[in-house]
Formats: sequence, C-alpha cells, structure tokens
Amino acid sequence: MIEARGLVKRYGATLAVDRLSFDVRSGTVTGFLGPNGSGKSTTMRLILGLDVPDAGAVRIGGRRYRDLAWPLREVGAVLEAGAFHPGRSARAHLMGLAASNGISRSRVEEVLGVVGLGDVAGRRAGRFSLGMAQRLGIAAALLGDPGVLLLDEPVNGLDPEGIRWIRDLLKSLAGQGRVVFVSSHLISEMALTADRLVVIGRGRLLADTSVAELAARSGSLEDAFLELTSGVTDYRGATDRCPPGPQRVDDDHDSKARTA
Amino acid sequence: MTGAMVTGSVPGAEGGHYRFRHVARMEWIKLRSVRSTWMLLAFIVLAMVGVGIGVGVGYRSHTPVASAAQIVNNALGGAVLAQLLIGALGVLAVTGEYSSGMVRATFAAIPHRGLVLAAKVVIFGLVAFAVGELAAFAGLVAGQAAISGSPVPRVPLGDPAVLRPVLFTGAYLGLIGLLGVGLGTLIRHTGGAIGALFGAMFVPMFLGAMFGQAGIAVLKFVPLFILINSVAVVTPVPATLSAWAGIGVLCLYAAVALGLGWWLLVRRDA
Repeated sequence: MIEARGLVKRYGATLAVDRLSFDVRSGTVTGFLGPNGSGKSTTMRLILGLDVPDAGAVRIGGRRYRDLAWPLREVGAVLEAGAFHPGRSARAHLMGLAASNGISRSRVEEVLGVVGLGDVAGRRAGRFSLGMAQRLGIAAALLGDPGVLLLDEPVNGLDPEGIRWIRDLLKSLAGQGRVVFVSSHLISEMALTADRLVVIGRGRLLADTSVAELAARSGSLEDAFLELTSGVTDYRGATDRCPPGPQRVDDDHDSKARTA
Repeated sequence: MTGAMVTGSVPGAEGGHYRFRHVARMEWIKLRSVRSTWMLLAFIVLAMVGVGIGVGVGYRSHTPVASAAQIVNNALGGAVLAQLLIGALGVLAVTGEYSSGMVRATFAAIPHRGLVLAAKVVIFGLVAFAVGELAAFAGLVAGQAAISGSPVPRVPLGDPAVLRPVLFTGAYLGLIGLLGVGLGTLIRHTGGAIGALFGAMFVPMFLGAMFGQAGIAVLKFVPLFILINSVAVVTPVPATLSAWAGIGVLCLYAAVALGLGWWLLVRRDA
C-alpha cells in the first residue's frame, strides 16, 4: 500500500503539489488522473524519493522509500520512456540495475522475454522505437518482481497493440495482488484500465474514488472528469470565439515575409 | 505474466540490505557497457604513445644528443592531451546519466546517493588510475622503441628518477579523471562541466603568462602547469611545486570537487 500524507512540493514560485493525501491499495489498478501540469509526475518522483517534499511524507508498506532494503524488489517504476543511456544495450542496462539489488542474471533474461525484447536485447537502446523504450522501462520495473508498480504515462506514444499489451499487463499484475499505480491524462484509457481513480488538479486532490462512482456522477467518465477539473485547467482551447483581428494581420505579414 | 512471479521469489534474492559491493557492481557494468568509455580510454593511451613515438623519432638525429631527462620530459608530453580525454570521461560518467534520465533509474534502485557516488569514484578511479599508468608507461616505452638503434642512450626505466615522473603522470591522469567526476556531479551538464574543466586548465595559463615570473606564484597551482613543470618532468622547474606537492594539490582539487558534488547530490532533487 502507498500512503501519501499532506504532500507539498514547491519549485520556486510554482506550487506543484499542494497538501496531497491519498492511498493506493493492492489488488487493483489505480489510475492517477489529472490535466497536463497537474503534478502527477512530481508526485511520482516524491513517492520514489527522487524529489524531496517541502512538507508531508509518502510511505510504501509503512516505510519511506529511502529506507527500503532492496528498492527494486519492492517498488518497480516506469518514470519516462528512455531513462537509460542510449549507448548501452537493453541487456546491459538491466544487468546494471539487477546487480545493484542482488538480482540474478537469469531474471534479466526472464523479464526481457516477458516484455518481448529478448531478440533485440544486445542492441543499443538509443536506437529503440518509443514502444520498445517503454517496454525496456517496464522490464526494469518488473526486474525485482516488486509488489508495488508505479507507471508515469506508460501508454504515451504507443500504438494500439502496445496500449492493449500494457493494459492487459497492468490488470494481470493487479490480479496477482500487487499495488499498481498508473498516471495518465487520457480518461478513455483509464476507463478501460483502472478500477480506482485518484484525480488531481493544480497539485490538489479532486477525487479519490472508483471509476464506476465517478462515471455515475455525470453522463460519462469524461464528463465527470471535465467537470471536476474545469476550475484547474491551465490552458483551454477557445471553441466559442473567432480568432481576434490582429492575428490575421500577423498572418499576412508572415506570408509576405516567407515569399519575399 | 506467470504465477511464478510472486514477490520475494526472485532468484538471487537474499536477506539484508544493498551494500557497497552491489552498487560497485552496477557502476562497473555501467562504465564498461558504453562504447565511449573504451574509445576514450583507447585515445588516452594512443595520445601518450603517439607523442612518445614522435619525440623518439625527433631525438634520433638531434644534436647535441639528448639527455635521458629531456627524453622523459618530452615523451610524457602526450599527457597534455590525455588529461583532457580522461577528464571528459570522468565528467561523462556522471553527466551521461543526467542527460539520458538514467540517473532517476539509478537513484530509484539505490536511494542512498552518497553510496552511488562513492561506488562511482572507486570504480572509475581504479580504471582511471590503471589506464593512466598504462598510458604513461606506454608513452615512454614507445618513445624508447622509436629511438632504438640510434646513438641516443636508452633511458634507464628502472632508475627512480625516471620511474617517478612516469608513475606520477599516470596518477595525475587518474586524479584529473576524478576531478571530472566531481565537476560532473556538481554541474550535471556535459557541456558545462567539460567547459569548466578545460577552462580551469587553460584560462589561468594564458592569464598567468601575462604576468611573467610574478605569475608563477599563482600559476604553480594550476593543474596543467603542475603537470608540465612538476609532475611529468625528471626535475621540477625551479620556483614551482615539487612533484609530491603537485600531486597533493591535485588530490585536494579532486577531493574538493567531489565533496561539493556529494554535498549537493544528497540535497538536490534528482
């Protein structure tokens, strides 16, 4: 179980996470939902001890991350596609991480097989496609067979087959009784993958509920989410206004400059 | 996914806690599994060998016949280039992790950041000193090979007066590598850290040169100046540091950079 209590994180004048508290339980996929820039990635980094909160704390199974005896055997994280040296092979990347937590070489080969990178494991990871890079990230997360999995936007940039693969993987991991916490800004994806949702906006908790409950509040999960986040979205497209006049002048000016 | 993947069943799992040896193994795998490591190490040896051969060939027909000290001093000249390469390698051992995002995987695996830096210093340091010594000896030996058959007498490699500059040049290279690790940890950006390292080497040299003899009082503490006047010479130039003092100053620089780097590393967000 992940317990976040009163997390606050400030970057200069920006309040990225604002008194955030929530629990993530085992045995279900918990979606971490919020508009872009709402503090999802910051929260993930706070959980992993990569950033230090200005206030509050996170505990994983009752302990702080930095007190874990073998971190990779307790928590597996996918923070970003490409958190590896581009010149290193997928196998060497995993071997290094495995060595740091006393995990065997055979386990490296095993996870390479699980994510389907067995045939390309000797290639430099910098040449991988985005989908392969995500799979390598997931292989690293699975390396220590951890009871807790954190994934930050794992389906970003994936093709439909890859998205389906991750969805099925997350569900089966949760089905084995693990904690699965996955962030996304894609409501439709969360509707298909998650059982529970932690929704944040501007770093604050907006809802901690089940997918079914949230969907029942409005006509659909998407409507409910947009209602929830309507006050905290930083950028919104204008659907009811024409572009203002001066912009056309600028456009003309630009096209002249280009043809000149 | 199979049912066999149950928490705690990982082969190789043991009780206890991660230790220095686990982290050191990771750092060794990381260092050796990147091609640029091997390329830069090869160039370091090549730089020393290349200059050594050049000097040897040059002295074959030189009049008057060169002294052993002259040959040693010049044959070790490749260190001026080699130090830049090994310093850059030290920087890259750290900044390569930041530019790729690997550093977050590293610190998620080992949250004890001081232990990660310690392992990196030990592993990289061992490699840097070993390659530094190898390159220094290779430089002199290559020079000797190039000079053989000419009337120039062979340099007695077993003579302590010759052995000292060769050994110290290798140590100097290792220390510049560690200075690079320190600067990389402090600055975290490849360009910035390499710029700082090269700047600290050359800028004071140009500035100090403008003050002639008076400038030496300050210049004698500049790494490059220490190399060519105190360390990589049979007899240190008068008014400069002794070989031991020169190496001591270099140790101090590397220790300060690593200490400051560590201080920031354990406090900054990764």
